[in-house]
Amino acid sequence: MRRVNLDRIETILAVVVIIGVLALLGKILLGDRGLDVNYMQGIVGVFLQAAVLSVYITSMSFAIGIGIGFLVGWLRSMRTVPVGHLVRDFRIAAKEESGSAAIRNILFSLTLVWSGFKHAVRRIMDGYVELMRGTPLFVQIFFVWSVLLVYFTKIPQRDFIAVLVAMTINTGGYQGEIFRGGLQTVHSGQVEAARALGLSRWGAMRYVVLPQALRLITPPLTNEYIGLLKASSLAFYFGVRELTYYTKQEAFSGRNFEAFVLASVLYLAITFTLAKIVQRVETRYRIPGLGIQAALTRGVRRTRM
Amino acid sequence: MIRIEDIHKHFGALHVLRGVSLEVTRGEVVVVVGPSGSGKSTLLRCINLLVEPDEGRVFIDGVHVNTPAIRPEWVRQQVGMVFQSFNLFTHLTALQNVTVGLIRVKDESKDAAEAKGKELLARVGLAAKENAYPAELSGGQQQRVAIARALAMDPKAILFDEPTSALDPEYIREVLDVMTALARDGMTMIVVSHEMGFAKSVATRLIFLDEGKIVEEGVPEEVFVHPKHERTRAFVSKILR
Repeated sequence: MRRVNLDRIETILAVVVIIGVLALLGKILLGDRGLDVNYMQGIVGVFLQAAVLSVYITSMSFAIGIGIGFLVGWLRSMRTVPVGHLVRDFRIAAKEESGSAAIRNILFSLTLVWSGFKHAVRRIMDGYVELMRGTPLFVQIFFVWSVLLVYFTKIPQRDFIAVLVAMTINTGGYQGEIFRGGLQTVHSGQVEAARALGLSRWGAMRYVVLPQALRLITPPLTNEYIGLLKASSLAFYFGVRELTYYTKQEAFSGRNFEAFVLASVLYLAITFTLAKIVQRVETRYRIPGLGIQAALTRGVRRTRM
Repeated sequence: MIRIEDIHKHFGALHVLRGVSLEVTRGEVVVVVGPSGSGKSTLLRCINLLVEPDEGRVFIDGVHVNTPAIRPEWVRQQVGMVFQSFNLFTHLTALQNVTVGLIRVKDESKDAAEAKGKELLARVGLAAKENAYPAELSGGQQQRVAIARALAMDPKAILFDEPTSALDPEYIREVLDVMTALARDGMTMIVVSHEMGFAKSVATRLIFLDEGKIVEEGVPEEVFVHPKHERTRAFVSKILR
């Protein structure tokens, strides 16, 4: 109980200090003018609508990204053997001269083709993830936007679509990495037991691996959503009227403090609410022995819920 | 019931099974022993096709099952399996572990599956633990849930892959007791295990596997007391000491 109280006090202190620093900064920069509350009330409606559009873009691309991420992650988590190893093993097996040579050769050829295919798919997926993680999102959006501009002139809401597509492909790559990690963390014995029970490959994924992996990757997926929401601010550059778009407009009209304070509060409100919801969900679906809580469930007292 | 003919299996350059043939009739309890790396686990996995044999044929109730015409999922419903490390589904309760196969594989209703699941948990002495997650159970309890999970599918036979090797000594008894009861009820079982007490009292036949081949087989007492082969003798003297 004492530790819980200390935690609370710490949090409150931190908030007080932050507010104090901000107030001081405001005093220095704004002087006695202060924030124009009337003005802020005037623009809050437009800003709220814009924030909804930000959340909409983020959620759309994130949701489709989950599908892409799962598929990419699954493909990348499959075990493949480099062709060189296969050939080496085959040579050794051939020297042993067990069974018939014809069957061995046929088996080897089939294995080689199948492994080669799987290996190629995996490498392509690796490349996709690297490309998304290794180049700026802004450049990616720019690229898609320019392609649409040149080749798909008749698409309605072209700028909006460009941003949405680029962000979807981008988050798909990031989530592919998150899913790969999550799927690989689930013990291989779980799959074996599922298969031994008569579940298909997909059944084992759907009913055994995925429920465990999703619990494990909820924190990184949440981070990804928050990161994506912040990245959605890039859309203003392409004329999409989301939160940053209006912030820029208002800021250029001279009310930069009012605009940025309002925008920051809205962005914060969204991420904070999301974090709280995810925390609820995590607690609701927590299972003893699975994930980070595993270490905490035995003996150690939880200081925060 | 189960018949395998001249099975070969390679893992890369490793020739794990080198022509194993075996016939197990209904109600038989066959215990497989052998040094580590002799192919015991692979042999079991070839029967329910968790491992696909490279050569040779596997029959279950007279049906040739390792052909493309037969879905391996079907085979695995006929032959249950219990693992060394239990492999209970971490995110499911004891009861859900037992019912998941009934609901997701056999398409049974949730109510029917749960009624059956509770009955099976009671049979392995865990009626009180139906809502516990695997992490909240002891090793012995987990393995008993795993046996109930295998039983739920009404298998024709059950394969046990070193079911007591990962257990603390104090939990071995309770698992062996469940297995013994199962054998008395007439379940066909193939058990990879070095529990010699269990082999002597329950097994109808003992098989000694070494370097991917069956070196010796017979009534447990016979193989233990009068091993015919040099390698069996060496192995038996090691594990009986």
